[in-house]
Amino acid sequence: MRIDRTHRAWATATIIALVFASIVYIAYAVRSPGGPRGGTALGLTFGIAGYALMLYAGLLGARKKVPVWRIGRAQTWMRGHLWLGLLSFPLILFHGGFAFRGPLTAVLMILFFIVIVSGVAGAAFQHYLPRIMLSEVPMETIYEEIPHVREQLRDEADELVMAGVEAEYDDKVMLREMYQEKIRPFLETPDKPGAEPPAEIFDSLRVVIPAAFHPVLDDLENICEEERQLNRQIRLYRWLHAWLLIHVPSSIALLVLGGVHAVMALRY
Amino acid sequence: MSDQIQLTIDAIPVTVPAGTTVFDAARMNGIAIPTLCHQQNETPVGVCRVCVVEAGGRVLTASCVRPAENGMKVSTNSEKVRGARRTLLELLMADHPSPCARQRQSNDCELEHLATLEGVTAPRYPRRLSPRGQDDSSLVIAVDHEACILCDRCIRGCDEIRHNDVLGRRGKGFNAGIAFDLNNPMGNSDCVSCGECMVSCPTGALTNKSVVRTVLPGEPVEAEELKQLHYFEKVSGTFLELNKNAVVRRHFRKGEVVCREGEYGSTAFYILEGTAHVFLSAPMAHVQTGGGATGLFSKLTSRLAGRQQDRREGENERRKIPIDASVDLPYDNPVAELGPGDLFGEMTCMSLYPRSATVQAATDCVMFEMLRNVLDIMQRNKTLKAQLDANYRKRALDDHLRSVPIFSSLTEEFIDSLRDRVELVRYNKGDMICHQGDIADAFYLIRIGFVKVSEVYPDDDLVLAYLGRGGYFGEIGLLGEGRRTATCTALDHVEVVRIHGEDFHRMMEEFPDVRQSLELVAQAHLEQNQQRMAVTSNVPLNQFLTQGLMEAQSLLILDLEKCTRCDNCVRACADAHDGVTRLIREGLRFDKYLVATSCRQCRDPLCMVGCPVGSIRRRNSLEVIIEDWCIGCGLCARNCPYGNINMHPFTVMVDSPESPGRRMAAIKQKATSCDLCTEHAEPSCVYACPHDAAHRVDPTKFFSAVLQQTVTGT
Amino acid sequence: MPGRSRTTKKLAQRIDLNYFKRLYAIPSWRRRLSFGLVLVGLLWLGWEALSGKQRPYNAGPVSHAHALLTRNCTACHVAQAVFGRKVTDQACLTCHDAPAHQTAQTFTPVCMDCHVEHQGSPRLASTRDASCTQCHRDLKTDGKPAGYVTAIASFDGQHPEFAPLRPGHTDPGTVRLNHQVHLKKDLRGPNGTLVQVKCADCHPREQADIVPVNFEKHCLSCHPLQFDKRFVESVPHKKPDVEREFMTAKFTEYIGAHPEEVRTADPGDPRTMRPPLPPARNAAEWIARRIDDSERLLWRKTCKECHTLNFGPGSSLPEIPKAAIPAVWMPHAEFGHRAHQMVNCAECHAGATKSQETSDILLPGIQTCRTCHRSGADFADARCSECHLYHDWSKEKKIEGKFTLLGF
Repeated sequence: MRIDRTHRAWATATIIALVFASIVYIAYAVRSPGGPRGGTALGLTFGIAGYALMLYAGLLGARKKVPVWRIGRAQTWMRGHLWLGLLSFPLILFHGGFAFRGPLTAVLMILFFIVIVSGVAGAAFQHYLPRIMLSEVPMETIYEEIPHVREQLRDEADELVMAGVEAEYDDKVMLREMYQEKIRPFLETPDKPGAEPPAEIFDSLRVVIPAAFHPVLDDLENICEEERQLNRQIRLYRWLHAWLLIHVPSSIALLVLGGVHAVMALRY
Repeated sequence: MSDQIQLTIDAIPVTVPAGTTVFDAARMNGIAIPTLCHQQNETPVGVCRVCVVEAGGRVLTASCVRPAENGMKVSTNSEKVRGARRTLLELLMADHPSPCARQRQSNDCELEHLATLEGVTAPRYPRRLSPRGQDDSSLVIAVDHEACILCDRCIRGCDEIRHNDVLGRRGKGFNAGIAFDLNNPMGNSDCVSCGECMVSCPTGALTNKSVVRTVLPGEPVEAEELKQLHYFEKVSGTFLELNKNAVVRRHFRKGEVVCREGEYGSTAFYILEGTAHVFLSAPMAHVQTGGGATGLFSKLTSRLAGRQQDRREGENERRKIPIDASVDLPYDNPVAELGPGDLFGEMTCMSLYPRSATVQAATDCVMFEMLRNVLDIMQRNKTLKAQLDANYRKRALDDHLRSVPIFSSLTEEFIDSLRDRVELVRYNKGDMICHQGDIADAFYLIRIGFVKVSEVYPDDDLVLAYLGRGGYFGEIGLLGEGRRTATCTALDHVEVVRIHGEDFHRMMEEFPDVRQSLELVAQAHLEQNQQRMAVTSNVPLNQFLTQGLMEAQSLLILDLEKCTRCDNCVRACADAHDGVTRLIREGLRFDKYLVATSCRQCRDPLCMVGCPVGSIRRRNSLEVIIEDWCIGCGLCARNCPYGNINMHPFTVMVDSPESPGRRMAAIKQKATSCDLCTEHAEPSCVYACPHDAAHRVDPTKFFSAVLQQTVTGT
Repeated sequence: MPGRSRTTKKLAQRIDLNYFKRLYAIPSWRRRLSFGLVLVGLLWLGWEALSGKQRPYNAGPVSHAHALLTRNCTACHVAQAVFGRKVTDQACLTCHDAPAHQTAQTFTPVCMDCHVEHQGSPRLASTRDASCTQCHRDLKTDGKPAGYVTAIASFDGQHPEFAPLRPGHTDPGTVRLNHQVHLKKDLRGPNGTLVQVKCADCHPREQADIVPVNFEKHCLSCHPLQFDKRFVESVPHKKPDVEREFMTAKFTEYIGAHPEEVRTADPGDPRTMRPPLPPARNAAEWIARRIDDSERLLWRKTCKECHTLNFGPGSSLPEIPKAAIPAVWMPHAEFGHRAHQMVNCAECHAGATKSQETSDILLPGIQTCRTCHRSGADFADARCSECHLYHDWSKEKKIEGKFTLLGF
């Protein structure tokens, strides 16, 4: 989501909480005889608070599964996810006293690090990419439907070329041949690198093909442009969503293993 | 006969009574003179000149109008005659859209036949440049002015034979042509569709509208038998013969389904014997979102979902569902009965709307099933009209009046007193029923069809409402200043019940509560109209206008700078509406927003036009909603210019057709459009947007800054 | 302007209304990866559990001393209640005695408060300051007066000056020594050579630390205890009666070998200013005279150079007070010279070259320590445990060993 002025309250609250937690931690770390550890009362408090925040952040995914439930606006959850999720990281660092020596805790910390880094990266993507999409892909459609839309674009182009234009037979044949040769392959496999016909092709075709076909050429050019934009959309969309492939699995693993850690740590 | 005259035709001596035309004389003696404009049963006019013969005069003469004279030497086939005839045919053919409709239909265009005989294939003369056009407005007869040779046969048929006096000539020179009434389209004229003109026409200028291709199941009805029915008294026999396929007699056994709701059809039914039940079989479900949580878990979750009572404001105002018959169906138990003499399916037949209800034979029935040309013929018949009127008065008027909630308190006596005083008035598409500024003298209830209520402004019309069956109008003028505040126009084939001003005022006096509620509604309407006018007088902007955003009252927009295309809005919509989305995250952009495909609550809701059961309608707050009794015909979806209404299949429980009484699951299409999640405080899509991108806004207010800016910028 | 027009309806109708119900590549991979990653994690834990190891839950490597117990969690984590496996003091006390710190202490922490395991730390004994300062920051005792400063939070903070250096404290030693003189240039050394004495000549480090000054080892070569010119050897650096005995034996042996000397004249002794005497009448007298001479020399001069001799009534032998040179100057702390051997002695013991008085305390002050030992990453450790011990090991009890070799 776009990080704008509306986040000020959340950011301030997070920073205040962080400062407060840091003060508590420093005082505790200095004075506790055994050093800052997860097992002491305060360490445990940090751990529980951190895990609770993580759990809350993780619940965003679950909350999205029940969009109709009136349990707070999704954007409130999202803001919480962003800021409290971020806050959980220092809390967990405080919990462990910045040291994670056990195998499980080390794995957890690596996962957590991945989650936070991918999350921050994702937030950055979500901040910048929609605007790029807005300006660069005016003809965007629904990503999932792109193959379907492409079929329709292809059919539209086929129809355009086959449609009756009052013209000499030879010219019709020429247009169709040009289409089959230069344009159709691109429409067939638009995402294949190099399939894209150069922009000048239409200019050169306009010289060769009589004026009666120029509207058809204009439309074909427009269709190619749309295909081009869809290619761009696919790339941008992947950036916009692929980070979740890292973020979500690692956070789920983090939550599960974190739970195991909590149980086992309370046991020992 | 004493006055016999003698003459020779093609060297054959013939004797004929005095006053006989040369044409007839030749014909009596087995000599056929080709002609186009002349017909045996019509007064000859001699306009086509194809029948020219050499009669010894200075010039050739038209045999159809030239009386035979004693000692006349007539040559019908001389070189000179044939040359003249050829030239005439060549000239006519130069302007003839060969093959014309008649030639294509039945291969009997007289002009083309003659031309072939005379060997006229490629005319040497150019076509006329100005097109004369077609008139497709009549349901039974296609008019192709291009093929008209101005022979006047149709005019004579209409005037002399049928005495309908509808057809005449119009224009001069190149612009000459046939005309209906005062040059109205045929469908809007006083034409009674007797078919005489069509029978008379030698070319494809007047042809029967493709009945031949439709073959209705059932036993064909002979023209003679039809003529027995007084509805068809005055119709041309030939025409009935031509339309033989367009009407059939059908026998339905008890329990058999005559037609099903939602189906598309093109026929109407007239009951000869027996009774039939008419009802809605589509369960009332699913256009509203089902709330019926059963299990504990779903009860819990539905609590979480915060659904308030799933009932829309003003939901049950109507007690009657309007259908395409002379009766309305009660909301609670949508069943009614039809008997002999009842006509149903008119709307389907006339305006090609989907069937609005299912009709099932209650006893063994005999019905005429007819295509719309026959229906049109019937409806143009005064006898039938009188009978339908009587039926309506007798049976449907009180239902109809009472189906309007504010009239529900009218007493039986009062309605009885109205019975003979109301008028049933028929309007054709485009007719103005009342005009803004006129003196208000009547109150109208709509029986069939759709009426557009609009205010006229210097630039443009503002559509206030589309009223369908069961709607009423005219009360504001009567209650207020006595002048019409809006213009009401028929959008299709409309029938209204006209209640005279005096009767209306009498009603107001007798039933003060009716008056009060009418006044309240009228007041609210006025206020809303004014509000909307204020909004509409805002800055007009090209893009804003071309995207129709000005028309919208509420838009679902997605801020594309924030939207991550996560589709949560769509999923939320589907979740909130039994798994189907009423929102498509696709559309045009305005400014940095995507105007998503979701109901815009148009000021001019085209979708509402044509709903056969009046299921799609407007709430008082002007939101467009689809009521539960939607029969799934899909008309509104096609009508919506923005693709915001979609048809979705729902599983519903219906009566099993095999074993009545058993319920079974069936798939039923229903129209869905955004209901703004009225049972929630906020639309689910907006609520579920994690990125603060989705908003429901009033476009003119929301974009006013943008619009203002653009205006000052340019 | 192309003839293709984009309208909302056209765009919307391109879309399949059920598209969102299908599972597309990214979400499906997200699902698979989530499932997979969790599975991998659980499989790992499960595998470890099946193989009987609790390794993943190890909070960190244990200290070297306990490294053997890494695979034997239950050695310390003793089962309690149903599920809990907490470490309590009992577990520690199985192997270790932990004598109390002070009798007057009001609070006794549990072992784990100070000795934090699983930190990978090499020594559990090197605890954090907080372990000590939790009490010593504001020391409470159970009524008895605290013998210490009651508010110590850190070494470079409120830690008091070392006790011997505080006002009113003197060196209890009775052996006179002038460090300045000993460190002069060209000092006459053994056999008359000229030497420059170095600190380590008298204070050498053996093994762990500097050993206490020993007369025979460190003084004798320059300060021989010669008692008579007839002998080159010194008297033993022992009590006066032992020395008299030694001398008697020596002289007796000598006169037995040289009987003629009884008869020779007895010249005066310039060292003790004894006037000449006539020859001895017999050997016994000769021996008595010699002993008297030697003792006069020792008691009045040689011994007296360093020691104080007290002649009590009724005894001809002097009483010598104990040297009382403190072996350890800081009884509650440990200091190792070995760890500091890289530092020049005079850097810390700066007063040594100028010290003329025996009572000068040459122990460096706490400030000297603090030049290196301070809090901060750039300085040497300044933790309490560097110098102090908590447990009073003098009260240590013996532990019965419980482990068997098979257990490892």
